[in-house]
Amino acid sequence: MRWWQIRKRDADLERELRSDLELEEEEQRDNGLPPDEARRAASRAFGNVTLIREKTRETWGWAPFERLWQDLRYGMRQLRRSPGFAVIALCTLSLSIGAATSVFSVVNAVLLKPFAFRDADRLLVVRETEDKAGSGREIVPDNYRHFLYLKENAKTLEDAAIFRHSAGSISPNGDHPRVVGTVITSPNLFRLLGVRPMLGRNFVDADARKGAAHIVVLSYEGWREFFSGDSNVIGKTLRINGEPNTVIGVLPPGMHFPQVALSPKIHFQELGQNVMLYEPFVPAERDLKNDTGNFNYSVIARLNPGVTVPQAHAELGALLSSYTVSSHLPVRFGIAIAPLAQDVASGVRGGLWLLFAAVGAVLLIACVNLANLQFARAVSAEHETAVRAALGASRSRQIMARLTESLILAVIGGMAGIALAFLGVRMLLALVPANIPRLEEVRISVPVLLFAVALSMLVAIAFGILPALRSLRVPPHAALQTNSSRTANVRDGQRMRNIMVAAQLTCTVVLLIVTALSLRSFSHLMHQNRGFDASHVTVAGVDLFAPQYGDFSSKNPQPVKQAFADRALAALRQLPGVESSALTSATPLKGETWVDYLHRPDRPLPDGQEPLVNVRFIDPDYLPTMRIPVVAGRNISAGDRGDPYVALISERTAREAFPGEDPIGRKIGSLAPDSDHLFTVVGVVADTRINGLKDTAAMAYAPYWVFTHWTLSFLVRSSQPSDVLIPEMRRVLWQVDPQVAIPVLKSMDEQVSESAATDRFQAIVLSGFGISALLLALLGVYGVLAYSVSLRQQEFGIRIALGSGKGSMVGLVLRQAAYPVLFGTAAGLAISFVVLRWVRSLLYQTPVMDPLAISGSVLLLLAVSATAAMIPAYRAASVDPMRALRSE
Amino acid sequence: MSSTKEKAQQRANLLQGTLDMLILRTLLYGPAHGHQIGKHIQRTTNDFLQMQHGSLYPALHRLEQRGWVTSKWETAPDKNREFKYYRLTEKGKKQLVVEESKWKQMAEAVSSVMWPVTEEN
Repeated sequence: MRWWQIRKRDADLERELRSDLELEEEEQRDNGLPPDEARRAASRAFGNVTLIREKTRETWGWAPFERLWQDLRYGMRQLRRSPGFAVIALCTLSLSIGAATSVFSVVNAVLLKPFAFRDADRLLVVRETEDKAGSGREIVPDNYRHFLYLKENAKTLEDAAIFRHSAGSISPNGDHPRVVGTVITSPNLFRLLGVRPMLGRNFVDADARKGAAHIVVLSYEGWREFFSGDSNVIGKTLRINGEPNTVIGVLPPGMHFPQVALSPKIHFQELGQNVMLYEPFVPAERDLKNDTGNFNYSVIARLNPGVTVPQAHAELGALLSSYTVSSHLPVRFGIAIAPLAQDVASGVRGGLWLLFAAVGAVLLIACVNLANLQFARAVSAEHETAVRAALGASRSRQIMARLTESLILAVIGGMAGIALAFLGVRMLLALVPANIPRLEEVRISVPVLLFAVALSMLVAIAFGILPALRSLRVPPHAALQTNSSRTANVRDGQRMRNIMVAAQLTCTVVLLIVTALSLRSFSHLMHQNRGFDASHVTVAGVDLFAPQYGDFSSKNPQPVKQAFADRALAALRQLPGVESSALTSATPLKGETWVDYLHRPDRPLPDGQEPLVNVRFIDPDYLPTMRIPVVAGRNISAGDRGDPYVALISERTAREAFPGEDPIGRKIGSLAPDSDHLFTVVGVVADTRINGLKDTAAMAYAPYWVFTHWTLSFLVRSSQPSDVLIPEMRRVLWQVDPQVAIPVLKSMDEQVSESAATDRFQAIVLSGFGISALLLALLGVYGVLAYSVSLRQQEFGIRIALGSGKGSMVGLVLRQAAYPVLFGTAAGLAISFVVLRWVRSLLYQTPVMDPLAISGSVLLLLAVSATAAMIPAYRAASVDPMRALRSE
Repeated sequence: MSSTKEKAQQRANLLQGTLDMLILRTLLYGPAHGHQIGKHIQRTTNDFLQMQHGSLYPALHRLEQRGWVTSKWETAPDKNREFKYYRLTEKGKKQLVVEESKWKQMAEAVSSVMWPVTEEN
């Protein structure tokens, strides 16, 4: 039996029943009954023909589908009859499902999806900890010798690889070079991850021996970009930092190596997320010898099957402390360990879950609005429901009929939501800060689609079930009564609606408070005193990655780099409108780099106990250009060039290294990377938030005449706007040397703002959700009141006719609104006190009990609710008593 | 009122398992239409089994669905009208044998409990 035969079959059945009925009638007539009587007797004998038909049709096996089809048609008819409701419902649904799906696609890619590596749940990031005399335990990157010892002796680990994120300059077509992310790794990394090259071969141990040929493995993206996907790429040469490297392999497209931070404090944001190429790690002399410094690497390890993370942690910790003892190391080292996926997402997990929770709250509020509308519709359709019940519709049939309408809405809204999610994901990716890991994996994938579908169904049931269940409570005999009993229904439905409005306001209050706190935190971050003046400053980061500039192993690369710096500074100063140009060795607001111990020969401390400082090599114009005041002593000056071993320290460094003493004139040690020459402190400068807005950094500055870094940052203060200055600066710098890369070139203001990208993203997206929640709550309050006012027209008419004033009518409606609003707000406040504990870590120097944020949110919500209530209240007051009474 | 209801219940229960078998057995005499089948069962059982149309037609359609009977519109020999005649198929005949033996087994089982034969004594 096919479904298209049903119609024919049905006609056939009807004909069969009719002919048999006629026969029965004839027989009754033959028995001597008059024709009328015979027809009635035949009908009686036959029973309910419709019922017989329905029962027979059931045997055809298509009944459930037929019923669904009927319900669907019924639902569509219902929706077409109230297009206003349908449009509002579909808009609300598609927007909120779209938003939730977009956020989920990010959550899924960043937090939930396992890495595309073999048994990714067995991968760990291993770091070391160092016990500090004053400040307790600090997590530090790995030391090569410690790594070798652990790898050799650990029984819990199957394998471990040591690596370092780095950067290289590439100029594929002889253009000006650009800087790309690279990874320098021990040869076993890909084997450990379970990744096989798509072309060519993997690294082998011989590749990491001293003096081995320079080779490189390309990522899929690097292969596409530098060789346009040439399949004969193996054996070809790629110049990295000007040096030829032979390509030995290309990785498959799914291989995205995550950015692993050296330590919780040290990130490599500027390189972006994509690792374009991999080079073998050839340990240098200092890697092989140094046991107490040189913490420059990351370690990724694979657990043996069946081993837990705590077991590995215990074993590695014990191994490292026995190593500390047997090697007589002056510092106690320990182990910090985290599953790879967790480590990579550690900085963003809380924030993303918060956003997901926020979008969930918006969805919930939207659901309540729809449930409210459906509820009102169910009440007004009560008569029809009663008729259905009286005609014998079963309970399940009644519920299904109501639910299918919600299902239709959810299916259409869900599909529109998925379509919107494609846009939403793009919008999120445009807003999202680049330091969120695994963004390249964000897409509307199958799990995301499944999520959207499941969510739509859930939503349909959530907003459809209450009104559907309500239809059960309608007694069949209600159909026989007239609808003068409407007032009774008003009260009954009203309680349910009030509860829903209160629930909605509860969610809204929580969301508003979280949003307000996030905005306060962001505003505080942006408006606090930074200790430097970013306005009118443009920054150019320049990388001297070319053979003529040498590297750490070169004999004396300093003069060439210094010459470049001098010429570039002079050339930048010549640009029109330039007030000053300056140099520093690290791009501002890119986190801590070049962190070293500050040694005091007059008061030596054991290794590892000395205070840590960020070392920067600057020129005399750095402080004036950034408007950083000298607090004591003097700035470095051109006069120091002959004897350049002078240093400036920041106030924080002074406090930590010279507590209660005057640092001016004191000697400090080892700021220069290649000598033990001591420096004389000539000045103390104000603290700045130069590495990141959230912390003042402990700084030590030395002149670039001592050491000129390979990465330079030129700062130009000018009356010209940045967008005029930027192309000029690029031109001038490339005039000095076309072979340098300029990975950063932007206004300092932009640099500052980018450094707060995560906080801004959180604030913007939360604000979006907060506003949506507020609007939905406004609609919710308005909808419920407007509906109840429309039901109570007659009552209001009578009240006015009996002499109620306009004011008292308005008061009547407002009082009605007040209960759910006040109750919901109070409940929201109570819940906030619980929820806010989890938000604390996401806020910057903002107490979660911030009175302004809390009172502001509550007042805003109350004001909006009052506004929403005013319109129906005035409508109630302006009821024409005559018309209201006449319509009875 | 409750006693009539109970009676109806009894009849329905009795019929539920056996109606298919009765229809198949009736059709063994030759093709018949719904009305005839109902009347035949009713008359043969001396009106003990009141034919409920509400179960007859669904049962007929179920049997046809399973391929035990076929149906065809044919003109009745004594009337000038078409009726839907049901005819037993080969498959239906086999099914009747199965149903019959099942029924016999059932009846024997029931009676051996109800009226035990005491041979040993």
